Amino acid sequence: MTHKQEKSSMLSQGVFIFVYLAVLTVLEFGIAITFNSTVLLVVIALVKAVLVVYYYMHIYKLNAEHEGDEDSYEYKSGTNRIGLWLFLVSDSFVFGGLMVMRINLLGLTHPHLDQTLGLIVTGVLLVSSFFMNRGETLMANGDRKGFITNTLITFVLGLGFLIGVVFVEWPNAIAEGITPGSGPAGAAFFMMTGMHAFHVLTGLIFLLVVLNNARRGLYDEKHYPVEAAAVYWHFVDVVWIFFYPALYLIGAIAK
Amino acid sequence: MIKKNTVGSGLLLLLIAGAVGYGIGFGLDALISGGTPKLAGAVPSAFALLFAVSAFFFGLYGYRGITRGLVWQVVGTLLGGLFVTGIRALMGMTGNKLFGAFFFSEPAWVFGALMGVISFLVGVGVMDDWIKWARGIDTPEHHEDKPGWEKYFGVSLDHKVIGIQYTVTALVLISVGGLFALIFRTELAQSGLQFLSADPTKFNVFNQTGPQFYNTLMSLHGMIMIVSILLGISGIINYVVPLLVGAHDMAFPRMNAFAFWVAVPAAVLLLMSMVLGGFDTGWTGYPPLSSRAPVGVQMFFWGVFTAGWSSILGALNVIATVLRMRAKGMTAMRMPIFVWAAIATSIIAMTATQLIGLSFQMVSFQRLFGMGFFDPAKGGNPVLFQHLFWFYSHPAVYVFVLPGLGVISELLPVFVRKPLFGYRWIAMSSLGIALVGFVVWAHHMFTSGMNEYLRVPFMYSTMLVAVPTGVKFFSWIATIWGGKISTPTPMLFVLGAIVVFLLGGVTGPPNAMVALDLHLHDTYWVVGHFHDTIFGGFVFPFFAAIYYWFPKATGRRMNEFWGKVHFWLMTPSFLMLTFGMMFIGLRGMRRRIADYDAALGFDNTHLILTICAFGIALSVLIFFINIIYSIKHGEKAEGNVWNSRSPEWQVRSPMPAHNYEVPFEVVGEPYDYGLADSKYVEFSATAGKKH
Amino acid sequence: MRHFVIVAILVLAATFLVHAGLDAANLMPVNASTQASEIDWMWNLQVVAMSFLFSLIVVPMFYSLVVFRRKKGDTTDAEHVEGNTPLEITWTVIPLFVVVIFAYLGAGNLANTLRGDPNAMVVKVVGSQWSWKFEYPEYGITTQELYLPEGKQVLLKMESTDVIHSFWVPEFRVKQDLVPGRVTELHITPTLAGEYKVRCAELCGTSHYAMEQPVVVVDGALFTSWVSERQAEAAALDTPEARGQALVTANGCAACHSIDGSARIGPTWFNLFGSTVQLSDGTSVTADEAFLSESIKAPQAKIVAGFETQNMPPYQFTDEQIADIVAYIKTLK
Repeated sequence: MTHKQEKSSMLSQGVFIFVYLAVLTVLEFGIAITFNSTVLLVVIALVKAVLVVYYYMHIYKLNAEHEGDEDSYEYKSGTNRIGLWLFLVSDSFVFGGLMVMRINLLGLTHPHLDQTLGLIVTGVLLVSSFFMNRGETLMANGDRKGFITNTLITFVLGLGFLIGVVFVEWPNAIAEGITPGSGPAGAAFFMMTGMHAFHVLTGLIFLLVVLNNARRGLYDEKHYPVEAAAVYWHFVDVVWIFFYPALYLIGAIAK
Repeated sequence: MIKKNTVGSGLLLLLIAGAVGYGIGFGLDALISGGTPKLAGAVPSAFALLFAVSAFFFGLYGYRGITRGLVWQVVGTLLGGLFVTGIRALMGMTGNKLFGAFFFSEPAWVFGALMGVISFLVGVGVMDDWIKWARGIDTPEHHEDKPGWEKYFGVSLDHKVIGIQYTVTALVLISVGGLFALIFRTELAQSGLQFLSADPTKFNVFNQTGPQFYNTLMSLHGMIMIVSILLGISGIINYVVPLLVGAHDMAFPRMNAFAFWVAVPAAVLLLMSMVLGGFDTGWTGYPPLSSRAPVGVQMFFWGVFTAGWSSILGALNVIATVLRMRAKGMTAMRMPIFVWAAIATSIIAMTATQLIGLSFQMVSFQRLFGMGFFDPAKGGNPVLFQHLFWFYSHPAVYVFVLPGLGVISELLPVFVRKPLFGYRWIAMSSLGIALVGFVVWAHHMFTSGMNEYLRVPFMYSTMLVAVPTGVKFFSWIATIWGGKISTPTPMLFVLGAIVVFLLGGVTGPPNAMVALDLHLHDTYWVVGHFHDTIFGGFVFPFFAAIYYWFPKATGRRMNEFWGKVHFWLMTPSFLMLTFGMMFIGLRGMRRRIADYDAALGFDNTHLILTICAFGIALSVLIFFINIIYSIKHGEKAEGNVWNSRSPEWQVRSPMPAHNYEVPFEVVGEPYDYGLADSKYVEFSATAGKKH
Repeated sequence: MRHFVIVAILVLAATFLVHAGLDAANLMPVNASTQASEIDWMWNLQVVAMSFLFSLIVVPMFYSLVVFRRKKGDTTDAEHVEGNTPLEITWTVIPLFVVVIFAYLGAGNLANTLRGDPNAMVVKVVGSQWSWKFEYPEYGITTQELYLPEGKQVLLKMESTDVIHSFWVPEFRVKQDLVPGRVTELHITPTLAGEYKVRCAELCGTSHYAMEQPVVVVDGALFTSWVSERQAEAAALDTPEARGQALVTANGCAACHSIDGSARIGPTWFNLFGSTVQLSDGTSVTADEAFLSESIKAPQAKIVAGFETQNMPPYQFTDEQIADIVAYIKTLK
């Protein structure tokens, strides 16, 4: 495949994966408001996560070949890649612990939240991942401008997610009587969305740094920092892929 | 005259600054609280201590590195506290201050503490390169350290320097934790409260009554020792692993430095708890007790959280290094066995540690924001905390001992001149212990009121750990058997480790048997059991490792006679300590009690325990003197002192700055002692260039 | 080969000696319940295992240190033995079987220990910082001492009012945490008359070390007469002051409040009623009925100066009970 063909095939792959993710999200929302099968919701979340981890986070790159000399940039990037994935494994345990807490305290119930808002912020985050993937692909193929444009869109969407959760959803919940101190539902909701929002915030900072340096041409040859920012961003999306059904969809509304 | 930048100048400044700090603290306290503070009040004492310590480092070292870090930590803490106090004042929340009318509500102390940690990290300089990279400025790959002692007090990227920084900090914390133990062991020597008074109107200099202070000291003893273990294993691993795999450094040198330096403010936070009312929960921090403990418990929580970062990032670095930076020809089954131990340890440390951070964070938020995770009045579940907490804290004990067990496996062949028996099985047993260690946590919760049906499965899984552990013991004996054994000090500590860890190991199954555990839980039997496992799995191997690799690090040997004195004083003292503990534990001596009923008849045993504790302390003091003396005056030892096949010993001591000037290739098995003409590594200029 | 035989004999000898020593040392407290018999059976089995495993490793080790010592001047290596796969398999598989068997025995042991008698007498145990309260619903009495009839199983239903405590009498062996927000249970069948102590076995704060109260096991007849005495006492409480005093005793208020003016963790009640009290926020208030009632129901509302860090837990009394307690406090002049 020529360079150009490879780039366009990667870009269209990005679109296809996004379409699958969007369809699955609509599907899970539909299941939740109709017959609400916990098993199906968990399965859908797993499928969405696998799609993002495999295609957007390209986990297969860990299986590196042709890295060359141990002093080469490729080899060092490979080491950095392993380091980042190890960090994500470690961070997953935090979110895993939060899920254990939610399951223990809420069981098959979820807090009474605004479903429309939940679907919107979820969609926004998924779309941001789409643009992130686009940006990363473009940069890997030498298109700095394309990278900057798409990453800016990612940033704006991510900021939108953060505002949607922290400045709309949270006040809404508090107005409904779901506060950090109101009971297990409130505690779980604020803790989980809070920890996730913290990671979104650090992801946004990471994006800003990378945008700024990309503007100055620092990543035209050495792409790894772009990949790192993108992979971290998708990780934050994967966490939400599990937190969204856990907080909004699964089970009955908690008393 | 006192020379600049010496210990003398440091001490002089310590005294002056201590006095100045005391005065400032006293004045502030009086001004703000509007009364006359006690002469030995907490605020003046804290200021005095902070100023004195910072000034000591300043006099010794100047305003850089650790000095700057500590000063910035103080400033950051105060600014952070002020910030939250200001916001709270704007929101109309002005109550609940800790010291008089000003010094800080609990949220302000928590935020201040965290700002202090971040400020320390920026101040010490460990974030410098990363900040530059974020701004798009490139930095050199290696930073050359200046020769001499100064590099140990600031940021160095050299894993050997960092390894020594870790080790020294670990030894300092062992001394602090040990000192606390000596204090409360002195109280416990006789029944009845002697110097820790039971009078609830008598508040000591730390603003705690006698029994409250006992609980604080006992809790801090536990956690400070745990942090010292984590630092100690990081010290050995960071120093030794790159040397063993043939790398010039760890995979991420800056993160390596960060992982060390983050532990320093963590320790400061832990100690700060003493002046913020202490905490009475033990190192396990169970709510609801911890959700209503004094504010010191927040310093405990966030100190542990911060120390956890050290563990997590350090472990991540080890795994990346071993995966990516091994010498040519070093297949998995040709790595030195210690590297397997380091990997198994790191797998646990990198993952499970997040759960103690999370569980402590949740109690902290319960206190700060009313989030009732563990508060039954709010629909929460106290036992949930225990599940989350022990999910880390059990695997944690394997983090504590796996490196030490790796040291035993690594050193035995050298001193018996025979291959390590069953290398593959020993390597796999480390992984086996790590994996099984993840599914046994609820054996700490047999009496907790958790779901009944969990007890038996956890009993089975707990007993299963004995299998890979047994493989190690049997393999060690088989290694020793038929060898040609010599017993210099490192080997003495290895043999002592085996015996002591064995005692820890055989006293484990009684705890695993649920019904029997109903009697044993929360008694001194358990205290004896875990001191055996910890001393056998960490403390003895730690000393062995230091005696063994000291020549590699310094080019000199430690004194052999005093090393033997250390061993022969520590070992019987320690054995008697744990036997005594287990004896009274079986007969009803509960854990974590400031005093015990004379009618129980434990007085004599307690007196013996206290004497043994002092014996251990004396032996460690001898060890410290030996180290300090030997750095400058020890017998020179620049070659392969132990006649080891391991690659680091084929190069001169101390190691060159980037370890192997000529890289090596692995051409044989690591432990082929007795096989004629066999070599493990071969040095050649063409080795290690291609992957 | 000769070495193996010698070592084998020495291991068996050492096992026997160590076991004999541990056995003779009489390590467990006196056996005072059927549960203790079960648990001691498992303990004795473990002592055998510990003696054997310890000897199995230590004896060959010390033997080697003597017999396989490096001779002076010998700089050669020992025999090149890398391993022995059949041996390694053996010492993995056999211990695997052994641990599974032990766990199996442990499960049966647990079932025997926890076995509940449907006719057990129920006693409600309430743990607070830092005292115990025992209620006998069958007899309508509340006491500070746990009296138990010999030979009959008691089912303890346990609650905590504040933090986690743990009920333990070493002579009975079994132990169970008291967890706020739930009821935990413990079955005990005492078999030996005597005076014991229950001591809290889960760190519960400042006075955890002192949280102990008597447990007395008596024969059936003595138990019945003790119950009658307690019932008579309770019936004789016909004034609010007397009822208040009984409540105060039953709920362990004396752990923190003295009645004679001496200093304790909390403010003294001596001469308290009607006096002017300095609060921690600088104001002062008269200690009248309203103040005292509030201080019991919501202790953190007004904190007396000097006692800011002591954290009195809230108590769930009925208004009538609170009135009785206040009446009692009024008498303390």
